[in-house]
Amino acid sequence: MTLEEKQALAGEYVLGLLEGADRIAFEETIRSDAEAAEIVAVLVARMQALDDTAPPLAPSAGLWDRIAARLDDTPQLATIAPVHRPVARPRKPVLGQWMAIAASVVVAAGLGFAAGGHVPQRAAPVVIAVLLNADDASPGAIVEAFADNSVRIVPLEDIEVPDGKILQVWTLPDPETGPVSLGTLESARDIRLAGPSLPLPEDGQLYEITLEPSPGSPTGKPTGPILVKGFAQPHL
Amino acid sequence: MQDAFIAAWQRAGQFDATRGAARAWLTTIVRNRSLNVLRDGSRLEFLDTDMLADLGDREADALAAFDLLAERDSLKTCLGRLEASRRRAILLCYVTGLSHGEVAATLRAPLGTVKAWIRRGLATLQECLS
Repeated sequence: MTLEEKQALAGEYVLGLLEGADRIAFEETIRSDAEAAEIVAVLVARMQALDDTAPPLAPSAGLWDRIAARLDDTPQLATIAPVHRPVARPRKPVLGQWMAIAASVVVAAGLGFAAGGHVPQRAAPVVIAVLLNADDASPGAIVEAFADNSVRIVPLEDIEVPDGKILQVWTLPDPETGPVSLGTLESARDIRLAGPSLPLPEDGQLYEITLEPSPGSPTGKPTGPILVKGFAQPHL
Repeated sequence: MQDAFIAAWQRAGQFDATRGAARAWLTTIVRNRSLNVLRDGSRLEFLDTDMLADLGDREADALAAFDLLAERDSLKTCLGRLEASRRRAILLCYVTGLSHGEVAATLRAPLGTVKAWIRRGLATLQECLS
């Protein structure tokens, strides 16, 4: 393939004009031909200025949950490119990064999945906290906190949520930071929340659920009564 | 969006950090998925009035994106130097995801002419950008 042919195909590829077998063939070329790959990369980078003119759109509610639910059933394709393995932090389940897509890109690339597909295992939580009812110290909910910042809430008893109110889940990574919201839920149900980017949860870390005005605490910190709270213990 | 992220997950092993930023890689996947969705089943075999009106709106989107580019962006300079019909054809493909045939319908030009506009326009653009 001449340089001109590569440039012409790269242009059509970046514009989205190559379809079907033509596209598959050219993607193969990109992988095997560094010059073609470079032409595509340059053009993609330049054309990105047009992408940036689009106004940002907020993802619909529950998008992450739906994506996450499908990932468990989705095998990964074979690795093609050797990439340096990232330094794994201790205690971090390496396969558990399925919520943070950017992270999983790097980690999965580093692991070098075998050809033929690899079904990732759902990771174990880093810590588990049993949240106790503030009134009678009965267990009200379980929180499983994962290395990817997500948390799973498993209610153990029904929590009444008045109209206009919402349940908000908090943790206290350290006293200086103060309570950080992990997300909200409209009723007590088994749910996985994406959670903000935080240090790995630690032994003894506080988790609690408060009652807040919908759609969430107006101050970003807990304002309502604490319904349940508890301290994390490492998952064995 | 879901499909794009699932595809990104499946292909994570193909991501090669030495070949460019994660953003470009993700953008390519999202674009390809979006184009598949746009084109599957909605390929224009014939055009009715509503479709033509819709394509007219898309042309406005494409031209608006060009107008929004920063003046000092070389992409704006290079696209601006192209003959108007070539520029419009390229913007319709990239910004609104039209195929050759759809661009031809939108610009009311023969398919062969549109393909030539895009091919020559792309060559000029790549030369100007490099």
